[in-house]
Amino acid sequence: MRAYLLSLALLMVVAVSLATALEPWFQNWSGSRTKSGDLLQVALGDSRRMFARHFFTKADVYFHNGYYPTIYDSKEGFEQGHVGGAAHGQGREEEESEDFLGKPRDWIDRLGRNFYPAQHTHLGDSGCGHTCCQRARENNGHDDDCVHKSHEKGHDHDREATGKPGAERELLPWFRLSAELDPQRIETYVIASYWLRTKLNQVDEAEAFLREGLRANPGDHELLFELGRMFHENRKDVTRARNILELALKNWREKEGAKAEPNIFLGGQILNQLALLEREQHNYPRAIEHYTLLKEVSPNKEMVQAWIDYLKTNGPPIATPALPQ
Amino acid sequence: MNPTTTPTESAGLPEISLREYSTSAANNVLAIAGVVIKEMYRRKDFYVLFVLTALITLVMGSVTFFNQDNIVRYLKEICLFLIWGASLVIAITTAARQIPAEREQRTLFPLLAKPVTRSQFVVGKFFGCWFASGLSLVLFYVFFGVVAGAKEHEWPVLNYFQALVLHWFMLGIVCALTVLGSIVFAAPSSNNTITLIVSVGILLVGRHLNKVALRLEEPGQTLLYAAYFMIPHLELFDVRDLIVHNWGLIRWEIWAAGLAYAVVYSAIFLALACLLFRRKAVN
Repeated sequence: MRAYLLSLALLMVVAVSLATALEPWFQNWSGSRTKSGDLLQVALGDSRRMFARHFFTKADVYFHNGYYPTIYDSKEGFEQGHVGGAAHGQGREEEESEDFLGKPRDWIDRLGRNFYPAQHTHLGDSGCGHTCCQRARENNGHDDDCVHKSHEKGHDHDREATGKPGAERELLPWFRLSAELDPQRIETYVIASYWLRTKLNQVDEAEAFLREGLRANPGDHELLFELGRMFHENRKDVTRARNILELALKNWREKEGAKAEPNIFLGGQILNQLALLEREQHNYPRAIEHYTLLKEVSPNKEMVQAWIDYLKTNGPPIATPALPQ
Repeated sequence: MNPTTTPTESAGLPEISLREYSTSAANNVLAIAGVVIKEMYRRKDFYVLFVLTALITLVMGSVTFFNQDNIVRYLKEICLFLIWGASLVIAITTAARQIPAEREQRTLFPLLAKPVTRSQFVVGKFFGCWFASGLSLVLFYVFFGVVAGAKEHEWPVLNYFQALVLHWFMLGIVCALTVLGSIVFAAPSSNNTITLIVSVGILLVGRHLNKVALRLEEPGQTLLYAAYFMIPHLELFDVRDLIVHNWGLIRWEIWAAGLAYAVVYSAIFLALACLLFRRKAVN
């Protein structure tokens, strides 16, 4: 009996000793979830990234009004989320090639297509239902004699009629969920901010969301670029926009410079935005500096050079068309 | 049994006309169905699922994203998902326990001793489950309509009507399948599980079996394509995406064709259930 009690006491002493050693180690361990006060992070661990991606894709599904390929369908044309304003075929033919359903294979398939979204549309298409306005939204502009020429980017009949902002608001819950689950996913903040400030005219919310992203990802150049763009295009606060864009450029150089394949597209966007800002402020020498740097990374070198030449000789008015974004 | 002598003849009873027989059969079926409906509103299953659906939907609806108080599609999607889940559970569990419970409680014998045939008993149980599912669906969809309308300020009643009826007819197939299962399988629990897995499986992948089949080598391709044509395509009746994303009405003739498809499959499963139950020893 005495031996049993002694064994038990020994085991308890060993357990307490181990606990005193293991507990501090566990608290400092990088894989410990106890550091996070976020219930989702504690409960889901790294799988939350998978869910975040799912919810981000969900926003793209909503953008297409439910018309979206499943894992059994061809994803051609849908590899990248179009919700980011990216890479839809501009022409009708290309849009038709993104018809992942194809022709019905049998009568059940034909019948079934009446019971789910089987047509390629976009959220907000009906907001301003003119095809000319749709083309204008795709940066093709209106014809000179178009009666809807005054319908600028962001124009929304829905809002005019009801006082409510556009249907794009339906994307927002999925962006919020995605950001909650994976605060390190930069794309979520940038794209949500794009919709908030351009289509929904909610610049304050866009700024708050971007700042939330910056708190989770300090100094991220993509977030800074979007923030700078917002200050430039929406707030018209040129000084802050310039400072933020220059910080974005600095951080881009630091982070992307060391990479074998840097994100040149983003660097070009930052430089183009800075050049545009300086051009608007008639600060042509600075604009030329940015264009010169842009020329190094741009695939459209002739056009950039043409702008440099033009600025050096004429100094064009602000209304001159900008380079394609 | 002597095939040339009917029971009425052998018992010396007067012959009844086809009309009288049909009326009597319909009365029997409706009486049995009525008992099932009464049983459903006495049980707590429906109330629990309804309160759970309402609670989750209202909590989700109270969340505001980016100071926008009229975002509604996510809420419609969540609410419809919960309604679909709850309705499947209600339909399957109600239908699965009917015949085994009658046998266990030994109430089946006096029921069949009355002038109620076995087929009438099975059909009555089916209609009871189906009507009970329909009643619960009406309540669920009214709740859904109120929540969506309160946020959206639009009342697409006809769209909701189409969705509700399609959903109800889909539950008809599920009820018939479950009644058939309750005769084939030994226990309600196994019937519940298998029918739920089959139904959810068809809802998830039924639409895509033909695409998968086309990628297979023979004879897998033919076998899978045959299975694709044989299974009841429950997913045809799932028009949640059309409702969530505010698509227009389904053409009425297409909608009616969908209902006819459901009627055919329900009838097949029910006929099989009647056939098996007539041959099954009930003691």
